[in-house]
Amino acid sequence: MRRFRATAPALLAASVLVLTACGDDAAEPETDAGGGGDAAAADYPTESITLIVPYAAGGPTDLAGRTIGSCIEEELGQTVVVENREGASGSVGMQAMLAGGNDGYTLSLIAVPASATNPLQDDVGYTNEDYVPIAVVTEIPSALIVGADSQFSTAEEFFQYAEENPGELNVGVPGTTTSQAMELRRLAEEYGVEVTAVPFTGNAEMTTAILGGNVDAVFINSSQDVLENIEAGSFLPLAVSPAEPVDYIDAPTLAESGFPELTNSVSVFGLAAPAGVPDNVVSTLEETVDTCLQKDDVREQLGEQYVPDEFIDSDAFSSRIDSIIEAYGPILQE
Amino acid sequence: MGILDGIGQGFAVALDPINLLYVFLGVLIGTVIGVLPGLGPTATIALLLPLTYEVEPVTAVILLAGIYYGSMYGGTITSVLLQLPGEAASVVTTFDGYQMAKQGRAGPALGIAAVGSFIGGTVAVIGLTLLAPPLADLAVEFGSQEYVALTALGILLVTYLGTRHPVKSLCMAALGLLLATIGQDDITGTTRFTFGQIALFDGFDFVAVAMGLFGVGEILYNVEKTEKAQAIKTKLKNVWPSRKDFRDSSGAIARGSVMGFFIGVLPGGGGVISSLASYATEKRRAKDPSRFGKGAIEGVAGPETANNASSTSAFIPLLTLGIPANVVLALIFGALLVQGITPGPQLISQEPEIFWGVIASMYIGNLMLLALNIPLVGVFVQLLRVRSGILAAFALLVTMAGVFSVNNDSFDMWVVLLFGLVGWLMKKTGFEPGPLVLAFVLGSILETNFRRSMLLSGGEFSTFITRPMSGTIFALMALVIIISVISGIRKRRRRSRPATPGEEDLAATGTTAEPEGTPGNETTDEQAPPAESGVPRDRS
Repeated sequence: MRRFRATAPALLAASVLVLTACGDDAAEPETDAGGGGDAAAADYPTESITLIVPYAAGGPTDLAGRTIGSCIEEELGQTVVVENREGASGSVGMQAMLAGGNDGYTLSLIAVPASATNPLQDDVGYTNEDYVPIAVVTEIPSALIVGADSQFSTAEEFFQYAEENPGELNVGVPGTTTSQAMELRRLAEEYGVEVTAVPFTGNAEMTTAILGGNVDAVFINSSQDVLENIEAGSFLPLAVSPAEPVDYIDAPTLAESGFPELTNSVSVFGLAAPAGVPDNVVSTLEETVDTCLQKDDVREQLGEQYVPDEFIDSDAFSSRIDSIIEAYGPILQE
Repeated sequence: MGILDGIGQGFAVALDPINLLYVFLGVLIGTVIGVLPGLGPTATIALLLPLTYEVEPVTAVILLAGIYYGSMYGGTITSVLLQLPGEAASVVTTFDGYQMAKQGRAGPALGIAAVGSFIGGTVAVIGLTLLAPPLADLAVEFGSQEYVALTALGILLVTYLGTRHPVKSLCMAALGLLLATIGQDDITGTTRFTFGQIALFDGFDFVAVAMGLFGVGEILYNVEKTEKAQAIKTKLKNVWPSRKDFRDSSGAIARGSVMGFFIGVLPGGGGVISSLASYATEKRRAKDPSRFGKGAIEGVAGPETANNASSTSAFIPLLTLGIPANVVLALIFGALLVQGITPGPQLISQEPEIFWGVIASMYIGNLMLLALNIPLVGVFVQLLRVRSGILAAFALLVTMAGVFSVNNDSFDMWVVLLFGLVGWLMKKTGFEPGPLVLAFVLGSILETNFRRSMLLSGGEFSTFITRPMSGTIFALMALVIIISVISGIRKRRRRSRPATPGEEDLAATGTTAEPEGTPGNETTDEQAPPAESGVPRDRS
């Protein structure tokens, strides 16, 4: 019994591969058409949809992918197969989606900014023109956080000290190519406030580092565990990253703290399809995600506070990505 | 949360029917593979790893832990009956266990091993229960510098201890460190040695490497050997040891429990080193050391107790620091990572059900093993009749399907095959895969933390010495190196004199002992026994 259970995913994966391979051939004539007039696309979806999650099972992207996937399945009446294809900060998953063809039956969850900044940095087998963002599912802001016994209690004190003592404060960031790290570089380059960014991998490590007093502050994705630590009083938030303040973290924005340009450090998880996907597929999915995000159980599973107050559709999502490319492109291509 | 609350919660988790089933499965699989020579706990866990992704994280760890300490019991059976260690840590058991069997005392030998294993395991679980939470509190203070010190110590000890050829294992550790640099660099984000291949951006997948080196390498190596049917001639009777046996071995069991516990906590310490250390101690303490090697029951009781205690306490560094102490623990580390859980000082507070659930399952698992082993020894022995060819083909199939299911990536299957080939060649040429795999895991922790320390200290190397904890660890490392150099020089001087008695024991058994490929088996064939310090070292 155990053996059977365990090989089931492999068999499933194999059959999915076969399916996507078939789908590829079928999509061939549509590739350059790109229009929504096709009869086949009109009654989308008529078969099962593969949703690629470019990160490991069990992580926050996986949660977002599976939640929205099961809701789409419910709404559109077709099976949504979630497939984890992790690797190379999401590039492996992106390639897998592109290989699946642009008929709308292979979609991917994308995590912005990583999916937009990867191609700026290395040759990862795709460019930002190769995919179409469809809708935002969740957005998680970053927060600048110090420990409860820190000498700083406000953003003002922190940044003033940093300005007077360049490079002395150590600030943990979740990775070297993350939006948090890049915002700190812009802080130094555009505002002359210099801190040392120390890259960690993931929230668990950063939490330990701040609790053990091994860094002065962390600039961290304010996911559920961080909110819990703030509530428990072991974390003190000094500032948050989005353009507008968020109601669940009691701290000013970086823009309010004197850095009006620093508004891009927000992790956005959204749905995307390969470029050239029929227009009506995009609009169908936009509508479906919008409906899903209004459902209470979906909102609760995703974390109520992370679901955007106002639905972010394909166009708005695209311009978000464009502004990130504009802000980080020059830094990454140095 | 207090320890009592914690352990209460743990039992609530462990007594869940599903988890209870998995503890049972784990210890059963462990016993079975312990019995089967050539399939050690590392190979088995490497092979079964992908299958655990389907279950809850706590259930996965419960299963894998069960396999690990279960194999410590199972390995005894063939050591005693056939002078064939089922897994590495039981090599020492062949010295006296087989002699006891020849004297018609196989039953008491197995009985005392099971009892000793139970006591050792239980003592170690109690130690784990009491010591891990305060240690985790302390570990929160650990900065990058301490992690550098600990991982460097780990690599040093793994290379020095319990290996036949320190130079060879040093080479393997170096290779492991090099392999760990492949992929995107954590600090600057540049890609290294990827040759523009996206598949290499994250480096080699640890699971694939381990499955290749241990799993496939092992399978290839075993297939190559000629199959010979093993006949069990010994009749088993009176498994329960006599009162005199208990009296004779009570001291050995007590010392084995404590010694095994502490050695298990050290990097590289689980399993074989603890049993060797215990054997050496018992032999030195004995009034009549010449009895050893001729069927002394202490020589079975002590090591069997110690290897079980150490396989339990080896969980401490993983669960409190996130540093795997040996290769089996590295695999369990991998299993947790895949489940989205990073073991570290936060584990106890953030994932209490995993920490306490696993601990509680160990109490239960040890009880189950005692119940399984005493009455069912005869049944397990029959397993030796399974032809290894059938086993190998099946294991290979499971491996390939399993590794594909981890990342849905066929690239990993090639990695497994490549490393399988490498592992097979390494075994043939006497290189151990253990140091390679452990250095591969610890290497990225070491490098990232080293560079993080450099960032934090502004490039001052003195940061490693001025911080009290990392300073102490580095001093300890210096001491280990100095002592081993001095004793190495001494040994060279003594070369002309005949080998120590213990060495003869091992040399004698070495030729018949199966060089089976668990990472802990560094000492399998002509390995020298522990030196006076209890630290086994190469003498060739």
